Amino acid sequence: MFKDLSKVRNIGISAHIDSGKTTLTERILFYTRRIHAIHEVRGKDGVGATMDSMDLERERGITIASAATHCEWQDHHLNLIDTPGHVDFTIEVERSLRVLDGAILVLCGVAGVQSQSITVDRQMRRYNVPRLAFVNKLDRVGANPIRVADQLREKLGLNPVLLQLPIGLEADHQGVVDLVTMKALYFEGPNGETLREAQIPAELAAEAASRHEHLLDAITMFSDELTEAVLEGNPTVEQIREAIHRGVVSLGLCPVLMGSAYKNRGVQPLLDAVTYYLPNPTEVKNTAVDLENEESQFPIVVKPEAPLISLAFKLEDGPYGQLTYIRTYQGTLKKGDTIVNTRTGRKVKVGRIVRMHASEMEDINDTMAGDIVALFGVDCASGDTFTDGSIEVSMTSMFVPEPVIKLMVKAKDNKSKTNMSKALARFTKEDPTFRTMVDEETSETVIAGMGELHLEVYIERMKREYNAEVETGRPQVAYRETITQTAPFDYVHKKQTGGSGQYGRVVGRVEVSESGDFEFLNKVTGGNIPTEYISSCEKGFRAMLAKGPLVGFPIVAVRVVLTDGASHNVDSSDMAFQAAARGAFREVYRRAKPQVLEPLMKVEVESPIEFQGDVMGTLSQRRGIIIGTTEDQGFVRIESEVPLAEMFGYATILRSATQGKAEFTMEFSRHASAPAAIAEELVKKHQDKVAGKKS
Amino acid sequence: MYTKEINERSPLRVFEKSIHGGLGKGNMGVVMSRAGVGKTAFLIGVALDDLMRGRKVLHVSCGDSVDHVRAFYNEIFEDLRRSMNMADSRETLETVDRSRMIHTFRGVEFTPEHLERETQVYGKTDGFEFRPEVVVVDGFDFAKADETALTAMKEYAQRHDVELWLSALSHRSDPSTSPQGIPNPVGRFEAWLSVIVLLEPQERAVLLRLLKDHENPNVEDLHLRLDPKTLLLHREG
Repeated sequence: MFKDLSKVRNIGISAHIDSGKTTLTERILFYTRRIHAIHEVRGKDGVGATMDSMDLERERGITIASAATHCEWQDHHLNLIDTPGHVDFTIEVERSLRVLDGAILVLCGVAGVQSQSITVDRQMRRYNVPRLAFVNKLDRVGANPIRVADQLREKLGLNPVLLQLPIGLEADHQGVVDLVTMKALYFEGPNGETLREAQIPAELAAEAASRHEHLLDAITMFSDELTEAVLEGNPTVEQIREAIHRGVVSLGLCPVLMGSAYKNRGVQPLLDAVTYYLPNPTEVKNTAVDLENEESQFPIVVKPEAPLISLAFKLEDGPYGQLTYIRTYQGTLKKGDTIVNTRTGRKVKVGRIVRMHASEMEDINDTMAGDIVALFGVDCASGDTFTDGSIEVSMTSMFVPEPVIKLMVKAKDNKSKTNMSKALARFTKEDPTFRTMVDEETSETVIAGMGELHLEVYIERMKREYNAEVETGRPQVAYRETITQTAPFDYVHKKQTGGSGQYGRVVGRVEVSESGDFEFLNKVTGGNIPTEYISSCEKGFRAMLAKGPLVGFPIVAVRVVLTDGASHNVDSSDMAFQAAARGAFREVYRRAKPQVLEPLMKVEVESPIEFQGDVMGTLSQRRGIIIGTTEDQGFVRIESEVPLAEMFGYATILRSATQGKAEFTMEFSRHASAPAAIAEELVKKHQDKVAGKKS
Repeated sequence: MYTKEINERSPLRVFEKSIHGGLGKGNMGVVMSRAGVGKTAFLIGVALDDLMRGRKVLHVSCGDSVDHVRAFYNEIFEDLRRSMNMADSRETLETVDRSRMIHTFRGVEFTPEHLERETQVYGKTDGFEFRPEVVVVDGFDFAKADETALTAMKEYAQRHDVELWLSALSHRSDPSTSPQGIPNPVGRFEAWLSVIVLLEPQERAVLLRLLKDHENPNVEDLHLRLDPKTLLLHREG
């Protein structure tokens, strides 16, 4: 167990898909002696980078699930979370960011701040994650770290400050000038493991001196001590580092480091920077939600002796059972302890605690506040909070978006069927944005998620990891239904067919709920509906929301106001009032002018300016609203809102319209009413389906 | 339709009466004030007024992001809606989104050529064909501008037959004016501009003064007190 929390760093590596983040992680593990050989991401040696533990990731050269790994650097303990870069997996990114104290934002030295970097940065901002930038690939043609630093300011609104200057670029890239110590650094030996300090090359001396001054200017505002030292003309390296550290922790500064992970340059100084500038767990303010006190804020005390609070942020199905990654926020957790899951109230005994080193693991006896480890044999869902039972708190719930796309899946044979259900059970536990359900009408299994690629990856994983051969249907958009006007109802449910009868009358109105949720208001007075049956009415109305009569999708944004009713001494019952409510809703729904809502996606395309018209054409042909355009040195960013239904296969269309030079990101924006023609078609399709079933 | 309700309190109606029906196509107008008085809000008010009357607007911002500008529109629209106690407005907002384009810059300075290029792209795009009737350029740098730039802007307005509104920053440190009494930096370019409006902060209100009205030698002594938040006419009493 670490005794000194000031030497712990929980950091993430976040970046655009091809900026070389996995290669960087691989090098970090090599220099911290966690691995003994370097493999490339798309490895010629067939081994693949160590952090990409899933075959699929290896094959595609991308990282899908975040694996946590531990390593040591200059007597500091680093927990690294490798995060995926594709927008379809943002829940993974967001979940990692939730448990991190700091992050390295990896940027490509040639492409700079790309649209995905913007999405990732927006997420980091949401969780107040202090960050360092690492401009990678300086060995590539066209690399320019100064321009990338400028983009950090212009595109991301960060306050970047260069801590290094490149010594040579592209094929001439040799090392970096450290602007804090004012030394040149070269990386020697077969894997760049030997660091050689030298004088700054003469041709860079003037620029280095001016950048050093600029650095001091930018950071003095974070430290009075440094300001005084600068005025006296003798700031020390420690004073400079302390000021940068304060700037980073307060989110007021983003230091920029650089190198080429692939060519083994610049990685060790980056690790040093992590220890100098990113915060330790005690420097980050976290709060939990107090479940005993109306969900008020519960301040976290990062101390080993405080009552335990741990958050399960990631589940993985390993060869030895479920592996649960946890971050402990306060207290200490020992092997053999009994802990309580605050969501379910269930007690769990902790059998094994392990520290993960990419795909290898080390058994440990305990873990304490500020650390990230994994537990074996603990059954829980992702996002659950554990305590020692003495307090009832939950870490703030993570933001989980509603799925926007669904897909029918069918196992090819019986064996696959069993395997498929195992796989689906696992995936839904791992990923809250991935849902699975059975369509009542067709008895088909349906999976739902955040995008085409998101679902594709799970289908691949079913095949590879669970040996489940499945067929899939066409992806379907998750529509919604809602009403557009107030309509009154007065409905009597009456049945007299021998034995005890059924009687219930409900009177009231349905109206649009601005909150977007279902609301139920009881305004019945004088006991016309006995109190015990009010909840039956609510239940009846609620039951109607799951599948709207128009297109068979959930109904949203409806308020039911119950104003009156009638009951019968003998014939009224829970059942009768539920049936009355259902009948009333069926009858009133048409009169409330129902409407089909479709998900709109926020689509941002970044393209060379010569293709602006072509790109805007592809968007408007897809019923997109173009919100605006931003011109940026030969490039243009086009922001638009496009119905998800029109976005299938867009990647291919965009590629051919722009010779592969544009890229796009897409995230759910909101639901909006579908145009009449489209709504009519959907309604007709649904009615045909329903009629087909009946006949 | 609540656009009618807005019309009644919009300074632009009073304004239009006094400036004989508005800025007019092919003309340039300027709203000037010191920093923070409400130039952007005023221009967005002008644009929303046009948008709600079914006209297409191109909003060019020299400095803010697209998201920021859009949020500003939504905020002003929401203020208008609330101050008028209007009902749900989703549909109108959607129309606003469809009839407006926002164009911004990063790391490049605005020039009249940018405006020309952008307008041409919109006109030529298949299935899009956005032809603005009103163009707003927020943050035009009058202090750095020269006659060539103003001429190019004026020609742009005439070529595309649009009403072109600009904002201009005036400085407390520069009390100089043109011979006609128009404060600099706008005063120097008075000849290119058809309408010049000055916004002055007052206690709990913004005063709108008309400094130039087309070729009319007797500018109506227009002093409108506006609500500083919505820039609508102040309710008296």
